Amino acid sequence: MGAGSVDLFAAASAEGAWTVGEVTRRARAVVEAGLPPLWVRGEVSGFKRWQSGHWYFALRDRTAQLRCVMFARENRRLPAAPADGMQVFAFGRPTVWEEKGELRLTVLELLSTEAGGLWQLAFEKAKAALAKDGLLDPARKRPLPGYAQRIAVITSPDAAALTDIVAVVERRWPVAELIVVPTRVQGDGAEAEICAAFRAIGRIAGLDVVIVGRGGGSKEDLWTFNSERVARAVAAAPVPVISAVGHETDVTLCDLVADYRAATPSAAAAAATPDRAEVLDHLAQVGARLGRAVAGRVDLAGQRVERSLDRLAGTMTLRVERHRHRLAALSGRLDALSPLKILERGYALARDAEDRLLKRVAQFPPGLAFRLRVSDGEVRARVAGP
Amino acid sequence: MSPPPPPASPTFAEQLERLEEIVRRLESQELDLDESLKLFEEGIERLRAVRERLTAAEAKVKQILGEDFDR
Repeated sequence: MGAGSVDLFAAASAEGAWTVGEVTRRARAVVEAGLPPLWVRGEVSGFKRWQSGHWYFALRDRTAQLRCVMFARENRRLPAAPADGMQVFAFGRPTVWEEKGELRLTVLELLSTEAGGLWQLAFEKAKAALAKDGLLDPARKRPLPGYAQRIAVITSPDAAALTDIVAVVERRWPVAELIVVPTRVQGDGAEAEICAAFRAIGRIAGLDVVIVGRGGGSKEDLWTFNSERVARAVAAAPVPVISAVGHETDVTLCDLVADYRAATPSAAAAAATPDRAEVLDHLAQVGARLGRAVAGRVDLAGQRVERSLDRLAGTMTLRVERHRHRLAALSGRLDALSPLKILERGYALARDAEDRLLKRVAQFPPGLAFRLRVSDGEVRARVAGP
Repeated sequence: MSPPPPPASPTFAEQLERLEEIVRRLESQELDLDESLKLFEEGIERLRAVRERLTAAEAKVKQILGEDFDR
């Protein structure tokens, strides 16, 4: 350059002066050569997300600021955008943005230094959105079926979680049919697959309950289950959902929205099913009650029959007594009608030789021999002749 | 996709519920003997059926393949 030149104005010519582009290009080369990719610590300020998905913001400390850009292809991996005022570590390449003549950091990675960082921020944001729509209301939680016959399982088809669930259901409640809806459970596409699986179970007839989940993993691995979309798919499920994501300590949005949260996939399978041994015990009790109840009923009937017989016997005795009186009266009347009694009153019976009763004058021709029966014997007699 | 057919009716829960109802009615001792015995027979039959279902069952695992539903 012409710094040592005597004539300060010699370079102030079309030939000697640099163009703006030349300076910024040269500055960019110098900056990129002199400042390798590095971590910068600072406070986020003036954050803007452009239509393109790129993020623009500045990092500041008390005395300076540095313009930053984080392109969509990089920021896609982050759960949330940083908020203004947030303390962050940014890893990036310092460069010069020639169009604006600005020193700029092209950010490749961004970490919040605050508790939980961006992950926590994203979690809280989605949770607030779900709560606003009432999806976290405990009153929404549906009871689990007592004796599930069809259980859908939304999980990775080749992971321990599924093996555990199948083993528990086989042991506890083989009455059930397991319908596995395989999905990825982490990484690109997992979110969409799980949402599609929830749509698919709506078409399974007679479904009682759904288990969704996966085994333990890093915070990033479990992140799919903190997606607001997945949480909304869980909330929209037509049957109760049991969520089992990660371990006891990892509570995801999916867990919060589900009707029941199980600590592990095995626990989810146990929550979805009764224990066959217990049900058989219960059936034995039901059988015993059935027997006792019907025996009691038969006893009762027996007692009633006895009481009825007693009553019947009572009425029979009465009846016999009444009949006896009636018989006595009748026999008295019979006695009164006896012919001997009549004869005692002075009447006599006349009979011919053939023992026929003679009742009319015509039956007594003159000279007829006949017998007269009087009260104490017979008398021979003959009709007087003409 | 071809959805699996609905499970054979009645469901296990329905069968169990009917059993409980039979026991309750029998225990109330309000029925005449003939009705009681009929209910008892039904109860025994249902008990046998659910027991059989429980002891004979073997868990079935089906998989809905990926192409069975839209992604």
